[in-house]
Amino acid sequence: MNKYKKATSFLLCIILLLVMLIGCSQQSTSSSDNQASSKQSTSNNDSQKADSKDEQVTIQFWHNYDAGAGQIDVLNQLIAQFESQNPSIKVNPVYLEWSALRSNVVAGATTGMLPDVLRGDIAFVPQFQSLNVLTEMGALPDYNTIASSILEAPNSSAKMGDKFYGIAANTNTKILFYNKKLFEEAGLSVPKTQDEMWNDAKALSKGKVIGFVEAGTGAWNIAQYIWSNGGDLLAPDYSTATGYINSDIAVATIQKLADLYKAKALTGPSLDPGALGDTDGWTAGVYAMEIDGPWRATMAKDANIDIGAAQMPAGTAGSIGVLGGEDFMMFKTSDKAHQEAAWKFIKFMVGKEAQVAMAKVGQIPVNKEALTDSATIEAMPLMPIFSEALKTARPRPVTPKWSDIDNIITTKVAEAITGQKPVKVALDEAAVEIDKLLAQK
Amino acid sequence: MDKNSLQKSLIIRYIILALGVLFMIIPMIYMITSSLRPNSMTFSYPPQIFPKLSQLTLENYRYVLLRQNFFQYMSNTLIVAALSVLFSALAASMLGYCISRFKFWGRDFLYTVIITIMLIPGLAMLVPEFELAVTLKLVNNLWGVILFYTAWSIPFSTFLIKGYIDGIPKELDEATYMDGGTVFTIFFRIIIPMASPSIAAVSIFNFLFPFEELGWSQTILKIDSMRTLPVAITQFFQAHNRTDWGYVFAMTCLSMVPVVIIYLFLQRYFISGLSSGAIKG
Amino acid sequence: MDNNLKNNWRIGVLLLPGLVILGVFTFYPIIKMIVMSFFDWKIGYKQTSSFVGLRNYIDVFSDPIAKTALVNTLYYAVITVPGQIVLGLFVAVLINGIKKFSVTFRLFYYLPVITSWVVVALLFRYIFSNQGLLNYMLTDILKCTDEPIGWLSHRWTALTATTILGIWKGIGWNMVVFLAALQAVPIEYYDAASMDGCGAVKQFFYITLPNIKGSILFALVMLFIGAFNTYTPIMVITGGNPAHQTEVVLTWMYYQTFSAVGKMGYASALSVIVAIIVAIISVVLFKFIKPDNEI
Repeated sequence: MNKYKKATSFLLCIILLLVMLIGCSQQSTSSSDNQASSKQSTSNNDSQKADSKDEQVTIQFWHNYDAGAGQIDVLNQLIAQFESQNPSIKVNPVYLEWSALRSNVVAGATTGMLPDVLRGDIAFVPQFQSLNVLTEMGALPDYNTIASSILEAPNSSAKMGDKFYGIAANTNTKILFYNKKLFEEAGLSVPKTQDEMWNDAKALSKGKVIGFVEAGTGAWNIAQYIWSNGGDLLAPDYSTATGYINSDIAVATIQKLADLYKAKALTGPSLDPGALGDTDGWTAGVYAMEIDGPWRATMAKDANIDIGAAQMPAGTAGSIGVLGGEDFMMFKTSDKAHQEAAWKFIKFMVGKEAQVAMAKVGQIPVNKEALTDSATIEAMPLMPIFSEALKTARPRPVTPKWSDIDNIITTKVAEAITGQKPVKVALDEAAVEIDKLLAQK
Repeated sequence: MDKNSLQKSLIIRYIILALGVLFMIIPMIYMITSSLRPNSMTFSYPPQIFPKLSQLTLENYRYVLLRQNFFQYMSNTLIVAALSVLFSALAASMLGYCISRFKFWGRDFLYTVIITIMLIPGLAMLVPEFELAVTLKLVNNLWGVILFYTAWSIPFSTFLIKGYIDGIPKELDEATYMDGGTVFTIFFRIIIPMASPSIAAVSIFNFLFPFEELGWSQTILKIDSMRTLPVAITQFFQAHNRTDWGYVFAMTCLSMVPVVIIYLFLQRYFISGLSSGAIKG
Repeated sequence: MDNNLKNNWRIGVLLLPGLVILGVFTFYPIIKMIVMSFFDWKIGYKQTSSFVGLRNYIDVFSDPIAKTALVNTLYYAVITVPGQIVLGLFVAVLINGIKKFSVTFRLFYYLPVITSWVVVALLFRYIFSNQGLLNYMLTDILKCTDEPIGWLSHRWTALTATTILGIWKGIGWNMVVFLAALQAVPIEYYDAASMDGCGAVKQFFYITLPNIKGSILFALVMLFIGAFNTYTPIMVITGGNPAHQTEVVLTWMYYQTFSAVGKMGYASALSVIVAIIVAIISVVLFKFIKPDNEI
């Protein structure tokens, strides 16, 4: 017993020591961590290149371009082109799947293990900014000049308050896609209003066919229905959610979705893990309609599905889609040389040539010249429909707490649609939780 | 029991076992056949376990082997597996030996702590571990994976090996001391050979681990040339819910080959290695 | 044993590698995790965290989804652990009694154990999906039901499907552990029992089981720990959906770490709570089944 006591007290001393060290280090993070992590990132970047006499700089570029659609091939070509134009810069691309991209930035935040350039979903901007890792790109010398050559709406996705923390890389929004064969067989015409669309969904759902697939329940998925009916998720100044997310309009809209789900006319893999993923479902001829982005056309083509496209059916207030896309972001952890090189690369990637090249593999350009370029129009036959949709598409709120707010919406809407809770109850709860979140410092 | 009923019960055993095997391997068969079919056919309805011969294609394997860095991923994974098995075996048997044979200061306590650590999954402490890895410059480095896997496997390995060593007669130690041997001599000449079944047993588990661990390897290994197989497989989970199932299954089937080989190689030690005093009644 | 000064340093040398690796790579992160659970831990670049005492723990206890996750994890554990043990033992007994093809059978039963969790979870997700193999067999082949059943659409059926995966994957491991134990039971016991006219079933319950008690305990503890550490099967099969109803503790912890913002302290507190629960269960199991033994 004596030995036990001695060993225990010894161990407790060590633990206490460790705890004090760790606890104290958190309070005085500023100076020591500062130097440590910036030294870390520089030396990390150093160790990955031959950084010696000719001052060559290698920048780390994290992205999630789609290999299947040929985007990676184009990216590599563009990188080769950029490197030949800028011999002192090397670009090292790292592909990360969508959620891995986000979690790697989260994991890398404290330590400074971050890339120099990242192309990621515009929805990441608020979350990354809350980690205090993004460079305020708006403060870069020629930012405004470059920004003027880019569509304003997509670029606003990188704006928080009145500062820009990124620049648009490509944009997209969603339109209606439908399975032509199933429509013909059912003798239906393309719906023009939301109500028509829901009725069509019910009519098409028999046998193994399900009329409508909605892949998720976050703002990206359902905001369009609420906006198109004149409702909103949050107050225009983002100060509250009560009266918006649980307004009568929102409740009625979500109620329709819940009814469709119950009638087995609507489903999705996050609502029902037993349902086929949207791509797999399209390929198998199970899904008849979806509101989705340009990639849906490419995938359908690959799978030989005769797919039709049309404007998203309008609600009572019009056809208002959700603005999506990706932004380029830069990070505070890069040193000056890397930041300069990164900015050069970004400028190249938002230049007309690169944007047109990417347009050929399904990336809707944000560069104004590239949009009207004949090569783009030729490569994207659906461009007219998307252009029309982009005119009215709205961005999601760009506020620091947006990621958490979206999580709440996703959960509550899912509870409502799957029937776990009555729609009004779920949305009321959402309002309460969101307001609590907004009230915290 | 007379011969006849012995025969009967034997046949019944075989039948039950065979049916069981069927249940066990149907998913695997499905995986193999899916890897031999084009991507778009994976989720055809009605689902088919046994595809028509005309649909079979080696396209997926060709893609995985030629257009991807498969051999790089495989060699990375093998290196990680071999080294973490080696280090873990060494460290665990050293710890197991000392805990089993010597009553040193803090011994019981140390053993309790080791067992307690076994209860905590290595991955639950992701963020502190990642900060540690960065400080030690272990990111994008196979050592960042090897050292952590070793650490995670030591508690269980120590537990098993220590239990086994408990069953090795102490007289052998005595004899060696008489002959002028040291603790080291005993360890290398006697303990390791005699404890080899249990070392083989833990090594099978530890060898498998890098072939399926995803969370940590995905965090540490970012550069393509550094990736291990599990990470490489996830790159087929493309954006927007599109997954190239054929490639996923093809790569998985290929990655299972080394593990099955090692298993066949070590499996005869497996059974005896698990017969340690700590486990028996 | 030999404990005098001459040998001490050698023992120290042998202990060193293991202790260093464990200390640095496991022990230190654990301590840090515990510390983090008492802070509103910020992981942003150059952000400082503030001490919040027990607030994270209170948040965890008052969170309905954390409770759901805990219940789900317990359900998973309570079904898979005994399930694997019983089936694994059954198979081990069968294999122990045959001579031919023993190695082949052992390989096939062990195959699921050595396959990657990610891939088998995908396979099982497909099998249980609305248009999957199971429903196909029920509706088209066996004609039991008209409509496909949404196995994965509801909490308890989805969890049960996952437990089937867990059991399927673990049978082989248990089989091996029990084979080892069975072979250690002296044949004389069985012979003596046969001579006394004891039937096979009675032999099993009165001879076999008591003699492999240690293995059963070992399996119980290891599998319970494993069940609480389940992440991949749930993540792949349901992703915690619908609406977080099928979360288990580890998936919920990951969600709070990576999908939420600023919940690191919460995630750490959750880890600590789970570790304590697992420790308590393990100790209880030990005391209950082997009250006289030290580890």
